[in-house]
Amino acid sequence: MITIAIAKGRMQDGALALLSRAGIRVSEDAINSRRLALKDETGQYRFIFVKPADVPVYVEHGIADCGVVGRDVLLESEADLLLPLDLGIARCRIVVAAADPEAMTKVQGMIRVATKYSQIASAHFGARGIPVEIIQLSGSVELAPALGLADVIVDLVETGETLRENGLTVVEEIAESTGRLVVNRASYQLKTEEVMRLLDTLTTAK
Amino acid sequence: MRYYIGAEARLRRTVEDVAMSVFEGWNYEEVITPSVDYYDLFEQGMGQREAQRGFRFTDNDGRLLALRPDVTSSVARMAATLLSERPRPLRFCYAAPVFRQQAQSPAEWRRENTQLGCELIGAGGKPADLEILRLAAEILSRLNLQTRYCITINNVEIFNGVAAQMNLTPEAREQFRSLIDTRAAAELQQFLQDYDSREGHAFSQPTQLTGTRTVIQTARHLITNARSVAALDSLDELWTEIESLGLQNSFEIDLGNVSSLDYYTGLSLKVFVHGAGTSVGRGGRYDGLTGSFGRAEPAVGFVLNLDALTEVLGREGAQQ
Repeated sequence: MITIAIAKGRMQDGALALLSRAGIRVSEDAINSRRLALKDETGQYRFIFVKPADVPVYVEHGIADCGVVGRDVLLESEADLLLPLDLGIARCRIVVAAADPEAMTKVQGMIRVATKYSQIASAHFGARGIPVEIIQLSGSVELAPALGLADVIVDLVETGETLRENGLTVVEEIAESTGRLVVNRASYQLKTEEVMRLLDTLTTAK
Repeated sequence: MRYYIGAEARLRRTVEDVAMSVFEGWNYEEVITPSVDYYDLFEQGMGQREAQRGFRFTDNDGRLLALRPDVTSSVARMAATLLSERPRPLRFCYAAPVFRQQAQSPAEWRRENTQLGCELIGAGGKPADLEILRLAAEILSRLNLQTRYCITINNVEIFNGVAAQMNLTPEAREQFRSLIDTRAAAELQQFLQDYDSREGHAFSQPTQLTGTRTVIQTARHLITNARSVAALDSLDELWTEIESLGLQNSFEIDLGNVSSLDYYTGLSLKVFVHGAGTSVGRGGRYDGLTGSFGRAEPAVGFVLNLDALTEVLGREGAQQ
């Protein structure tokens, strides 16, 4: 049996739909229950639903053999995982946004960046030698510029609606993010057949 | 930071004793190297990137010291200097803690772990490679892990030959390596579009990188440069030997194991055990290493992680 950790939230619906197209089905009742660990109808797969940032943790420890999680989360974590498949689900962009489109050139000295993604943000600005102060938040990042906590934000954007409603525009795009299948290194070697079968079915279904 | 108390400590000691007695049976002499040495030694031995993970501090006179991040560097220097006159090959083994700063990664929280390791210095070619593979297999089966371990083998020259033929810049080579290492198939295919190389595609199908002899046969269809072909041949020969020893169920070929390329020069291996989420051992051939201490000669070896093995066996014992 293979255990697959799935990121709760945006990723979950896309992941379950894709799995169902691949013939790996979980009953409606099970999904609607509050259980955090479920088996599929054939009993070949067990799913666990965890917070996105915890998916790399479960998979790196080998508690889950595979995981479905956004690239944004992987860029932020330093977990050592295999990334064999881009599932193409939950597509979005990681961007720099600000109230003033010229913010990046106008701010003198040090730019204050509010974000949930401190690794991605510091790597992005660091690579270009722009001095920044990273302000780590855990949600509602769009508020920060309006209230004067930060000059710009680094955040995930799907439609751009939330940004617009808070008077922000995209200044730069850092990376695109989609759902990825990640695999534990030991499981890849020790459960090769099962992992390859999953890879093949998902590749065909996506 | 981990304490072992009572039964756990005994189990750990037993695992260590089993490994050391297998080494002894193969005529490996135990060696104890200094825990603290000059940082330069490790930089020369491991390369800057790995050595920098060591804990460093200064001596009274300002010279940089390090808590040993590996044992191999010290053994290689010892062979090239103190023991330069001794007849070859040299066989050494050790059970010794090493210290490394860890990335903020959840599975590698240990700063200290004990390596059960061996080095075979001054012997090249297939017989030496096979000897250390047999040693590793014997230790694991003596630990009653017969059906539950897998040793993956590769020859890094397969990748090196392809990368050389593609004429990659150092940055592109590192990107290529890292995409293969993480089996990022889609990105790899995109990367290869910029290069007119049929051979690179040998690495682009994750399902074709790992397995038995068919992996080599598949790779031969795409890879034709002389350097890689020679490496495929030697991997093929090694596999034949493994089969004739009846060990093929415990071994796997993994052309995607390209993790420590600037260190290994031929065979590279990793050890996996059911119940451990990460590899519990690694090794390979490092013919370039002793040269940096003034006496170039072939060398091959491996280490097993005593703490990881103890954890797997301990958890099992608790379940029974």
